[in-house]
Amino acid sequence: MQLSSKKVAGLLSAATCSLLGVPAHAEDDWDVDTAVLYYAESDDRVQAFEPVISATRDLGDDESLSFKLVLDSLTGSSASGAVPSTQVQTFTSPSGRDAYTVAPNETPLDPSFKDTRVSFSMNWEKSVGRNDRRNLGFNISREYDFTSISANALWQHDTNQKNTTWSYGINIEADQIDPVGGAPEPLTDMDDQNKMSGTESRTIVDLLFGVTQVIDRSSLFQINLSLSEADGYMTDPYKILSVVDNTTGLPTDYLFESRPDSRSRQSLYGKYKKMLSNKDIFTASYRFMTDDWGIDSNTFDFSYRFALSRGYYIQPRLRLYQQSKADFYNYFLRTGESPEHASADYRLGEMEATTIGFKFGKDIDEQQAWSLRLELYEQSGDSSPSEAFGQLAQQDLYPTLEAAIVQFNYSFRF
Amino acid sequence: MAKSLSLSRRGKLWVGQFRCMASPCEILLECKNRAQARELAELGQQEALRIEQKFSRYRNDNIVHQINSAGGRIEVDTETALLLDFANNCYDLSEGWFDITSGILRRAWKFVDGARIPEQQEIDRLLPHIGWHKVNWENPCLTVPQGMEIDFGGIGKEYAVDSTLRLLSQETRDSFIVNYGGDCHASCPLADGSPWMTGIENPHRPGDATAVIRLKSGALATSGDVFKFIQQDGKRYGHILNPDTGWPNTDSPLSVTVAAATCTEAGILSTLAMLQGKDAEIFLKRQAVKYWCYR
Repeated sequence: MQLSSKKVAGLLSAATCSLLGVPAHAEDDWDVDTAVLYYAESDDRVQAFEPVISATRDLGDDESLSFKLVLDSLTGSSASGAVPSTQVQTFTSPSGRDAYTVAPNETPLDPSFKDTRVSFSMNWEKSVGRNDRRNLGFNISREYDFTSISANALWQHDTNQKNTTWSYGINIEADQIDPVGGAPEPLTDMDDQNKMSGTESRTIVDLLFGVTQVIDRSSLFQINLSLSEADGYMTDPYKILSVVDNTTGLPTDYLFESRPDSRSRQSLYGKYKKMLSNKDIFTASYRFMTDDWGIDSNTFDFSYRFALSRGYYIQPRLRLYQQSKADFYNYFLRTGESPEHASADYRLGEMEATTIGFKFGKDIDEQQAWSLRLELYEQSGDSSPSEAFGQLAQQDLYPTLEAAIVQFNYSFRF
Repeated sequence: MAKSLSLSRRGKLWVGQFRCMASPCEILLECKNRAQARELAELGQQEALRIEQKFSRYRNDNIVHQINSAGGRIEVDTETALLLDFANNCYDLSEGWFDITSGILRRAWKFVDGARIPEQQEIDRLLPHIGWHKVNWENPCLTVPQGMEIDFGGIGKEYAVDSTLRLLSQETRDSFIVNYGGDCHASCPLADGSPWMTGIENPHRPGDATAVIRLKSGALATSGDVFKFIQQDGKRYGHILNPDTGWPNTDSPLSVTVAAATCTEAGILSTLAMLQGKDAEIFLKRQAVKYWCYR
């Protein structure tokens, strides 16, 4: 036996790693997280398929580099913003070349909704001294009519024997929008296809201030305050509004929508997390958001993770969302009305949404884990508002949206 | 049985001291208040006692006793299975030099005052009952042939050190060092960034630290006991025995200390180095680890 000349340290280190469940040489490791998400709205509206892969490389000495790649493919039809009518309606596609019709009493959907998004981000995290961590990140995202680049920095500082963490963050984003056929002139007739220019842009600056406080060995509380300032082109170039006859309520024209060219948002977020003595984890969070478009929203999110035997767990979740409408949200415009801004995008209307679902998964060992998430989403608003008149009074002006989300995750370390 | 834990102040550190695994055990902590220091030290003590109770070969109420007295196939729990997997890996990678079935050699070798080396025939009677390859290990089932025994003595203390470190790391981000009978593992540098200072004993002058090792994080383990040996006919017979021959290597260093990421790794490397006798340093150099070898 010539053991004296054999190198056993590497094999031994791997064996120790299996024994202790911790990597003996963390700096040699990649943590990889893979996921596929499938999102489908009812009535064959939008469907999305989204594979994600992210990898984190531990560089040792509390330094790490991570990369993330997201592919997003969207197909289906989305609501155009026009109201339903008792008569057949004809619309021009965004390119101006095609037209499509919508049957009586049906919500007008734009069938040309198809998009593929690729997004790549990287992040560098490093500890500075024992109580500070800095994080720098970069992200680029590309669709055929949209490009976004952003950079972010986050500084985290621990005090009070690491029981309190203060976070300061900034994110700067620049977007370029190249709508199909050019960006339309706001509030002009869709049939005229008046286009302003080929390319529009906007910038968004987000600031974050947060505190995380460890309450005791099993619970913590987090508060984040975020401020966001967006400037530039905020209009959705594919959304329209119906102009209706003042007595019959029948649509006479369709105008391109118009939104303000700036938006200020403030949000306050609080989260409480507690691990119970049986290793179950309860999480509750609340977010209040307000902006100068007039939208105030409240989000409650609760989850409870039941630890089952052999590394399995099941985590039911309930999310409740409610928002008020934007000042310029209109179901439709009356003939002769000429507001400065107007949009009929359902996402800017008054609404409530509920997400209910669960996650089931298993932590196989320190190296591998998988989970499956199933969620149902329902979004509804006032479908018969008091301002509806004529034929509009018999239409569903805010159709309920239902969607299902299925996500599978697998993470491993090598 | 609750064993006593003493908590005292050493400079700016808290020191929890207790006895376990036939060794003095210490946990040094850099936390601000006494209550937290006591809580952590108690947690560490409980873990050390738990491992001793579960894996000691000197008890008749634990899994090791069950395995050794089963006389056949026995299903083991996850932690025991991990240790058996580890022992199996060590047997393979060391080409049989590390063998948890070699513990029965202690029936022939008694390292007590005035002891003599055993007769060859005593050892010859034991050798057929040694050899991990004769054991059937199919996780989670272990079959140890009649007359054979397993013994985690060669890794138990180092495993306890690493396991305690892992447990306390989940409770605190403050710096601490676990030291069980000279085998130690530090969590991270002290708050001011300075390393832990750990002394290793001079085997020529027991009780004296000959070298001070600066440890920012990671572990140290030492093999070679200054009291556990038999001196006879001008030769020194140490307590680390070759599972193949049943004899210690008389050319071994007095002690070998190895630095590694974990105490378990360091312990295996120092034990294997001792078994290499005059080639101990060659073996250690080959492993590209930091070591301190005394002859």
